[in-house]
Amino acid sequence: MSGLPIVGFVGLSAALLAVGIFGILTRRNFILLLIAIEIAMNAGILNFVYFAAYTGGTAGLTGQAIAVVLVGFAATEVAVGLAIVLALNRLRGSINVAEATELRR
Amino acid sequence: MVSLADLFGYAFLVPLLMVLSFVIVGLAGTRLKRFEWGGWLAVGFAGAALVVGVLIAAAELMDPSRYTNVQFTWFHLPAAPGVFPNGFSLVAGTLVDPISALMLLVVTVVGFLVMLYSIGYMHHDHGLPRYYAELSLFLAAMSGLVIANNLFEFFLFWELVGVCSYFLIGFYYEKPSASSAAKEAFLVTRVGDVMFLLGIFIYFYYYATTGPSGGWAANGFVFVRGTTPFLAGAMGGQSTVLTVAGIMILGGAAGKSAQFPLHVWLPDAMEGPTTVSALIHAATMVAAGVYLLAVTSLFIGFTSTDQLAIVAVGGFTTFFAATMAVVHPDIKRVIAYSTISQLGYMVLAVGAGFAMVGLFHLFTHAFFKALLFLAAGSVIHAVGTQDLFKMGGLRKSMRVTAAAFAIGGLALAGIPPFAGFWSKDDVLSAVYSQLPSHPAYWPFFVLAVAAVFLTAYYIFRAWFLAFSGDKPRDPTLPHAHEGPWVMQVPLVVLSAFAVGAGLFIFWPNFQGLLLHGAGAAGIPPVYGPADLALSATSVFLGVAGIGLAWALWGHGKVFVLADSSPVQPLRRLLLNRYYFKVGFDWIGAKGVYTVARAADFVDRFVIDGTVHGFERMFAELSDRLRRIQTGVVSDYAAYVVAGLIAVFVLLLFVAPYLVAKFGGG
Repeated sequence: MSGLPIVGFVGLSAALLAVGIFGILTRRNFILLLIAIEIAMNAGILNFVYFAAYTGGTAGLTGQAIAVVLVGFAATEVAVGLAIVLALNRLRGSINVAEATELRR
Repeated sequence: MVSLADLFGYAFLVPLLMVLSFVIVGLAGTRLKRFEWGGWLAVGFAGAALVVGVLIAAAELMDPSRYTNVQFTWFHLPAAPGVFPNGFSLVAGTLVDPISALMLLVVTVVGFLVMLYSIGYMHHDHGLPRYYAELSLFLAAMSGLVIANNLFEFFLFWELVGVCSYFLIGFYYEKPSASSAAKEAFLVTRVGDVMFLLGIFIYFYYYATTGPSGGWAANGFVFVRGTTPFLAGAMGGQSTVLTVAGIMILGGAAGKSAQFPLHVWLPDAMEGPTTVSALIHAATMVAAGVYLLAVTSLFIGFTSTDQLAIVAVGGFTTFFAATMAVVHPDIKRVIAYSTISQLGYMVLAVGAGFAMVGLFHLFTHAFFKALLFLAAGSVIHAVGTQDLFKMGGLRKSMRVTAAAFAIGGLALAGIPPFAGFWSKDDVLSAVYSQLPSHPAYWPFFVLAVAAVFLTAYYIFRAWFLAFSGDKPRDPTLPHAHEGPWVMQVPLVVLSAFAVGAGLFIFWPNFQGLLLHGAGAAGIPPVYGPADLALSATSVFLGVAGIGLAWALWGHGKVFVLADSSPVQPLRRLLLNRYYFKVGFDWIGAKGVYTVARAADFVDRFVIDGTVHGFERMFAELSDRLRRIQTGVVSDYAAYVVAGLIAVFVLLLFVAPYLVAKFGGG
């Protein structure tokens, strides 16, 4: 398993993270923002999976397990995020995050 | 067998009776309308105190060598190394000796007569229960002070005397001038009190281990009679400290006895009822200062520097106060200045080392000064004004008062055989006897002699203005008449004393009282040719003063100084009391106020400024920092990302660089 191309995989997850962060910083639509967060998070999960496979053996199983748990986290996070989207939409009639600044003070 | 001397152990009865009077009249006075609002009750208690006081004085006169000290120890701290190697006691007790017996006589006699006189004088006033209660407390405090047997008890009663004078001077507290005069009296004497207390502390500290029974502190600071004042001998090596302590005691006495430069409160104290003035000037308040000096000089001792200072203060005050009395138009204030002047004589005598001579003058002065005040009170009671220039011709309608005032005036002027002559002459010859060995006393002796002339002049100027002539100069004055018998009896009794009190000096027992009071030192001078010349001089000066007063003011004349007269500025200076009050006010208003303003500036701008500056800085900073909270989620995300990048940069580039540069593990 140690013959896997490191640079390719790490480069893939780094690219995914960059795309996610770019989305987080630029999107104003809450749903698109959530998608961007998912992308950035999946970059991290991909890293876990990849390095677990790279390490191999029983020690590598820990990484796989964490990846599975993180997928669960991502699902709950999306559930909470979408609930907020619904509440925000009901409250303001818009899901533009740049306008929802009441918690500033 | 029961003898009068057994009473010595019961001297505490005098203050106790007056305290009882204070409590009863003070609590129940408003229900005693039939007894002149408790006034007759107070007179009764004062009469009982008078009986005890006179009996004690009589017993002491029978056997003047007796010193009867009765005391109980309040608490005693056992010996401990350090300041009090012999332990430390606080005691309470009474000491009956020649000087306290003499003073007790003065206090009870004058106190009783003033109390009796008040019944008539104060009849139309309001707040009489308060008046009689405070007067009782005043007498209690003064008689307690007189028989106190140690320095702490003395100070306690001293303060009580001060607070009672405050109450009584401010009796007409609705009048702003009266309440401010009361405050002035209290605050000015307070300056002296603080000095007195400092003096006590110095004695306390330095004499803890010396003195009788192995340490004055262990002994409870009791006044112990010796052939010489014990501390002066015991602490020869500490003479600088002793000098400082003596000056402090002088300061306390100067405050209480209104000596220069703390004299300003006494003329203003005339705002109180005339009876209170009589009491303050004759027997209580101002006598306490002289008594303190006498007690200190007899039991503790002064250094020669102290003595010079006391002589200087006394001699200067004698003349200084007399000059101010010369021009004043207010009958009570003229007498007030004469009190300051006469107290100067007493202080002078004590300073010259003749404490008993000073007390002898205090003794005679108490009677003729009380007489003068009560006579003046009688006049004020009759005509309702204190302005001498409105009075005139009162001789016809107020014969008793006119005679009493004249007798008081003659005694004050020092005309033989009236009381003032003998004691004043004793003072002058006592100081004169010290001149060869102390040439520095000369100027003050000359001032004191010169004051004799002024004294005779100003008191008879007052007499001629008030009593001579045909009719009052102000026709609107009510028709004058004598007061009731309660006002006339004290005048007659005090007149008798003013005539005869000086002759006591020829009574061997009274001489014995003075001699034994003085111990070995300070014996009154014997009469010789030099004294005769001195007496002749002082009598001549007195007669000359009376003659000048008659020439200028006799037969109801009014001497008007021309506006262009060269002495006009001097007159204004005297009328304005040498601008002393103005000066003190200036010190208060400008000096203290400037300091206060500076302190206020520091407080407000430096201290508060620093605090507020910090506050404003953080407020400003936090306001700036607050603006980064936009509420926009993407911005927060940007901060997070920026922070992450910063951490990466730090870990990947900066940290290795630093490790390479400085090493480390």
